[in-house]
Amino acid sequence: MLLEIKNLCLSFGGLKATNDVSIAMEEGKVYALIGPNGAGKTTFFNLISGVYKPDSGTITFDGQRLDGKRPYQVNEAGIARTYQVINLFKKMTVLDNVKVGMHTKLKSGFIQSMFHTKSQQAEEAAIIDKAMDLLAFVGLKNHMNDLAGDLSYGQQRLLEIVRAMASEPKLILLDEPAAGMNSTEKVELNVLIRKILARGITVLLVEHDMKLVMNIADHIFVLNHGQKLAEGSPLEIQNNPKVIEAYLGGGAKK
Amino acid sequence: MKSLAKKQNNKLITSIAVAAILLLLPIILSVTGNSYSILVLGFIIIYIIAVSGLDVNFGYCGQISMGHAAYYCIGAYGSVMLHHYFGIPVIITMILASILAAVLGAIVAFPASKLVFHFLSLSTIAFAEIVYTLVLNSPGKITGNAVGMFTDPINIFGYTLRSNTAFYYFGLVVCAVFLLVKWFLVKSKIGRAWIAIRENEDAAEGMGVNVVKYKVMAFAFSAFYTGFAGAMYAHLVNYIGPDTFTMKQSVMFITMMLFGGTGSILGPIIGSMFILLMTESLRVLEQYQMLVFGVILLAVVLAFPGGILGVVKDVIKKIKLKKGGVKNVVRN
Amino acid sequence: MLFQVIVSGFVIGCVYGLIALGYSLIYKASGLMNFAQGDVLTLGCFLGYTFYTLLGLPYWLSLIITAAIAFFFGMGEERFIIRKLQNKNVLTVYVVLATISIQYILQNSIQAIWGPNMLSYPRVFPWNNVTIFGVNIQTESVFCIIMSFILMMLLQVFMNHTKFGTAMRASALDAKAAKACGINPSFATGVTWGIAAALAATAGILLGPIYGVFIMLGQTIGRKGFAAAIMGGYGNVIGAIVGGVLLGLIETMSAAYWSSTYKDMIAYGLLLIFLYVKPTGIFNEKALNR
Repeated sequence: MLLEIKNLCLSFGGLKATNDVSIAMEEGKVYALIGPNGAGKTTFFNLISGVYKPDSGTITFDGQRLDGKRPYQVNEAGIARTYQVINLFKKMTVLDNVKVGMHTKLKSGFIQSMFHTKSQQAEEAAIIDKAMDLLAFVGLKNHMNDLAGDLSYGQQRLLEIVRAMASEPKLILLDEPAAGMNSTEKVELNVLIRKILARGITVLLVEHDMKLVMNIADHIFVLNHGQKLAEGSPLEIQNNPKVIEAYLGGGAKK
Repeated sequence: MKSLAKKQNNKLITSIAVAAILLLLPIILSVTGNSYSILVLGFIIIYIIAVSGLDVNFGYCGQISMGHAAYYCIGAYGSVMLHHYFGIPVIITMILASILAAVLGAIVAFPASKLVFHFLSLSTIAFAEIVYTLVLNSPGKITGNAVGMFTDPINIFGYTLRSNTAFYYFGLVVCAVFLLVKWFLVKSKIGRAWIAIRENEDAAEGMGVNVVKYKVMAFAFSAFYTGFAGAMYAHLVNYIGPDTFTMKQSVMFITMMLFGGTGSILGPIIGSMFILLMTESLRVLEQYQMLVFGVILLAVVLAFPGGILGVVKDVIKKIKLKKGGVKNVVRN
Repeated sequence: MLFQVIVSGFVIGCVYGLIALGYSLIYKASGLMNFAQGDVLTLGCFLGYTFYTLLGLPYWLSLIITAAIAFFFGMGEERFIIRKLQNKNVLTVYVVLATISIQYILQNSIQAIWGPNMLSYPRVFPWNNVTIFGVNIQTESVFCIIMSFILMMLLQVFMNHTKFGTAMRASALDAKAAKACGINPSFATGVTWGIAAALAATAGILLGPIYGVFIMLGQTIGRKGFAAAIMGGYGNVIGAIVGGVLLGLIETMSAAYWSSTYKDMIAYGLLLIFLYVKPTGIFNEKALNR
């Protein structure tokens, strides 16, 4: 198992935002997390990525306990994420955004950087190639010297994904990657996720767009009221009466 | 390719010209009989170092310190007192005192760096007030309290920097080293992490940046710079008193930094020169100095957040667009 | 002696509380810190002096006019500077920096208008002292304490039991949702800044007859009010008052029984200690991020 979550709980005040959720994920697959609005999907994401600390339960990733770790430690461990709202470093260039994504992979410390040592220079030169390769991967290479804030919305979404990939994660968490995208862009996103998978990165995405999810996911988890309602293949989920009821009962979403 | 070589050539010529002017400046000034100006040059260098440090903290890492006078003070008093009471050679005391400033800076920054950002600006004010009160009312009068302390000029390997001109050349070298180190740092992984924190703390943390560590690092680093500048100040004028280290000094640093342009190497240089020359030439207005600083700060924040440097950059960009607009279209 | 010390601790403590309240209100409404808060107190002190002493208006009228002017000052500050910056989407540090520059402009404008010398109010009440438990206490001190508590209670009632107060709290919690309910969040935010400024100015006019009228009066109080807000729990309304009174008492006690030289250091030291040990304050306010 790449990621194993057992009996995860978190409450805000009296509200149980995540209630006894257990999931397990294998390497090399696309997973999706769905559920009606307010089901606790983003909270769950924030628990995995270390933004929130769970009240109880365990998160084991690649043999390492991650519950209670800070976000930067989660990233170091090999889980990278994107954000629902675009969270780029707007006044930095596209290239520098990707370089920040590589932060944990760089060995030079304060002293090496301060004195601009040979090893630090070599390292900096090497990551430019890597960053360019990643940017080419999503077709942003021509924009590498533009400010991230000047990119179009769709490009910013792509940059978010690339920035997360820069840390060479084993697992990438995509928080509503298709939000605000038109249908052509969604098709491209579909292709991109396949390409990410082909690079050996496992994918977990939160998404509202059912068409995309059913198309791409190997395995789906359904959350409702902070609890796991069901899990299974897209076909199983589509035919699960509990899931259908949750979606129709709690404010229908197409 | 040709144009690139030409560009580099131009850069080389400009830097040689700048270096020549900087080296000859004291000679020109002493020929014109204006020796006070050489002292002012020394002050400008000191401010450039202090403000460059502050800029790492604010311009790159996005943290406001309203009390950097405290580190200026610790650098100055630390160096003077270590020299006075323990007889340690001045240049070593300067480094020790700056390290002390950095350590104390880290201690002040640590708790606040985990909290809402404006907590830091208030804890820095609180710390600055504590330092000032202690210097003014030290137990056993070890700081000389209101009277202050006299001290010796800098001595490097037996050569004493007695004249302002000698100090100027020393300062020039020190300043170049400090600016170079800042340049290396901000262009490295460390600098990128700082900017990332300024732009978006949550995302920076999500990308694997240990935000608290890097914030404290930026603060300590900037305290070191300002501390060293304080020590330079002490051994330039050979006297220190508590009046130099009030809130006014902190505000002056901030005004210089914002006026010049934040998050850059050149900004603090321009800002320090301009504001210092302004205060020197407007001595009449000394009573209203804080008003002037306040108005400048507000104007910068409201109208041109990039400072002078930002304005210049915008103008150049516009000219380039007009000139190179056609070319760019063809190339794309 | 002890009783008198406690009373003067309460006087300054109430003032810290009023300032801290202003911080809390503004923090809840805009997520910001207004550094000019303390200097609005100075402004209030000088305005009150002008109306009461120079123009000869009755004390209560001077108080009302001063509070009203400060109210509009706070609203204007929010409307013309703070919101302009926020609409431009600048980094939040710049907005706070703007309040810092307003602080210095205010401080020095006051000095330019009224001069650098310390002024003093004539007596406000016909009788000098009131006797409580056989101890003589300055009437103005008693008045300051009583007025502060009345103001705090009025504010509580206003925020929790009036329609407008509810609107203000709603806008602070979620501006978009408030808008959907027909509340004008930007107006509510402006009023919040206005109230914060009015509180500070009132504190100034209450404190004037006791402490005298001088330029740096507000700056120190402004900072200590922040220390008080942290001690109570930043953003917590009750915490602001408790923190204020507590700080006032500690400070006055230590000045009386230990050393007045280091009096100011105590507040700042407490601020730093609280940030290390208990940044959520006595009332464990979770408004702090993380």
